[in-house]
Amino acid sequence: MRNSFARIWGQLTESMLFLPTAVLLIILIFDFFFIPGFFSNLRLQDGHLYGSLIDILVHGSPTMILAMGMTLVIATGGVDLSVGAVIAISSSVAAIMINPTIVGMNLTDPRLFINNPQYTWMPLWLVFVVPLIIATLCGLWNGMLVSYWRIQPMVATLVLMIAGRGIAQLITNAIQIIIFNDTFAFVGNGYILFPFALYVAVAVFIGAWLLTWRTSIGLFVQSVGINYRSSFYSGINERRVKLFAYSFCGFCAGIAGLIIASNIRTSDANQIGMYTELDAILSVVIGGTLLGAGGRFSLMGSAIGALVLQATLTSMLSFGVPASAITAVKAVVVVAVILLYAEQTQSFLRGIGKVSVRQEAAR
Amino acid sequence: MTKSRTLRIALALATAAVLAGCSASATPVPTKKVYTFKDMTVGFIQTGSESGWRAANTSSFNETAKSDNITLKFTDSQNKIENQITAFNTYIADPAVNVIVLAAVDVTGYNDVLTAAKTAGKVVVIEDRRIDAPSNLYYTYIGSDFDKEGNEGAAAMCTALGSGGKNVVEIGGDQGASAAIDRAKGFREGDTACGINILDSQYAAAWDPTVGKSIMEAYLKKYTGKINGVFAHNDELAIAAIQAIDASGLKAGKDVQVVGFDATADGFKYLISGEMSADIECNPLLAPQVFQAALDGLNGVTGQPTWVPSQEGQFFASQGADALKAILATRKY
Repeated sequence: MRNSFARIWGQLTESMLFLPTAVLLIILIFDFFFIPGFFSNLRLQDGHLYGSLIDILVHGSPTMILAMGMTLVIATGGVDLSVGAVIAISSSVAAIMINPTIVGMNLTDPRLFINNPQYTWMPLWLVFVVPLIIATLCGLWNGMLVSYWRIQPMVATLVLMIAGRGIAQLITNAIQIIIFNDTFAFVGNGYILFPFALYVAVAVFIGAWLLTWRTSIGLFVQSVGINYRSSFYSGINERRVKLFAYSFCGFCAGIAGLIIASNIRTSDANQIGMYTELDAILSVVIGGTLLGAGGRFSLMGSAIGALVLQATLTSMLSFGVPASAITAVKAVVVVAVILLYAEQTQSFLRGIGKVSVRQEAAR
Repeated sequence: MTKSRTLRIALALATAAVLAGCSASATPVPTKKVYTFKDMTVGFIQTGSESGWRAANTSSFNETAKSDNITLKFTDSQNKIENQITAFNTYIADPAVNVIVLAAVDVTGYNDVLTAAKTAGKVVVIEDRRIDAPSNLYYTYIGSDFDKEGNEGAAAMCTALGSGGKNVVEIGGDQGASAAIDRAKGFREGDTACGINILDSQYAAAWDPTVGKSIMEAYLKKYTGKINGVFAHNDELAIAAIQAIDASGLKAGKDVQVVGFDATADGFKYLISGEMSADIECNPLLAPQVFQAALDGLNGVTGQPTWVPSQEGQFFASQGADALKAILATRKY
């Protein structure tokens, strides 16, 4: 009983989820005190939840999904810089399959788009499946470069990061496509009490969790991340593990692309998913997975990390920080988080527990 | 021997030419080359492809160049001024290029390259976006009067708001773009007419609708129940705002009046559904005017005004869906 605080504190600070959760709480506490109505504007609206907290969940969902894929890639000791470009590709493919008039395809009646909110050129299930297949192939390509050609992950994925956006612009003739189809728009805009995008994110999370921890893939990923040579000699097909991680990352980017395009009802090969690769990497880092080292990873931590980033963004917009200055605020949060992870801070945090032990012992 | 004969023939030909010239008109030699569209090679530095308006603008240049037999070299600068400077230097160094057309990303920052282009003898025509540079550094500027558009936007907002509340939020375009700067300025000059109160104003970098939507979501929470109108700097931002308004349970066009700019086909769709109240046109089909000006520039025509505004209209949801559909059918963008 005497050492209960120290014990609980010790367990808490040892947990990978401690810091990301603490940071998220700090941001929410800031919102509670400094942004009037940030919590109280949560209400039931037309049968769904609405409010600033829900905004965080809607816009955080694509980043959460990206972070799942990125976590596995980083755990294998790599990094994927191309997810933003893959988002652009998947959203462009989806948009062009709904409305091909933009690339000069003549439809029988172009005004169908205005008169029929359900109009789509290709069947809707294809509009969802084809972009995901293409996105997974993009991931597979990255995986091939990294595992079979042994190109450094940063360089290998840089190829697609630069080329991908160009490919997306070729697909759409570099034109913004407004998406009029209401069913497609539901994915990013719709609600079933909670935002639909959140269900997608939760599904991807559960899928990734089952895939890694209910099979031995999680163990393989960790093993490859720690030391790929010794993994190889202990009989793990290190190349296939990497191929899987990068393909899964591409798949996640594909889903995120569909959600983002659906949310703003626009596919914009130029801007869509710009810098999201950095958001995804940051989420993973905030979530406690070590960048560049490989090994231990936490899917839950990355999900919380994504929420930390989105909470910062939404809070700053609500607080009245100009949209153009938000990246600077984000940088401050990132620096703060990195400092929190520093060895010195960590030992200080652990020290708090030890001090209390000493105090109680002295009594 | 052969050399002197060639020289003699050349001399004879030259004399004949001079004589012919003299007999045709009284102007003395040397006769100046008269440029036609065929001799023009245009380096076109576009901002990027950030909107439906921009797409129509780019295709206007492509199509006009094709029909007039003009050689067009195209740069998509991805909305980055550094890419525009690089493209400028490439075109200055390219001997084939004699005309450079610029749609500027930012208002300032072009003085050095403009001077270099002038020294190299290239004709520079600025299109669409105004820049802050001495007017002797370029031949002319052809583009919309964004200030006037902002004014018209304010008037349209007044009409849409009617006798109701006058609280308006603004979603601006890219902070450095003349379209955003001048539309905001024009709006503030025109808003006194019916006493519009601007609650808040934010700019979406690179005209990104994702940012625009987030800005609107924050507004809706900060000023719950207070917002009567949204002044969005282009159609895409207006459409993003409408998405956010819908999610909040309000109805765009009824509870909140949305005014947009450009009047692209996408914007028309929302005018027809009544979700957008007014759309101020910004004409993207500038290529014929630009090419004509560039040709005048090559031929040394002086006295060109430094600014030729383009012709534009306004459209309102109150015109009715059928009338708007009929107008849309006749439009090119």
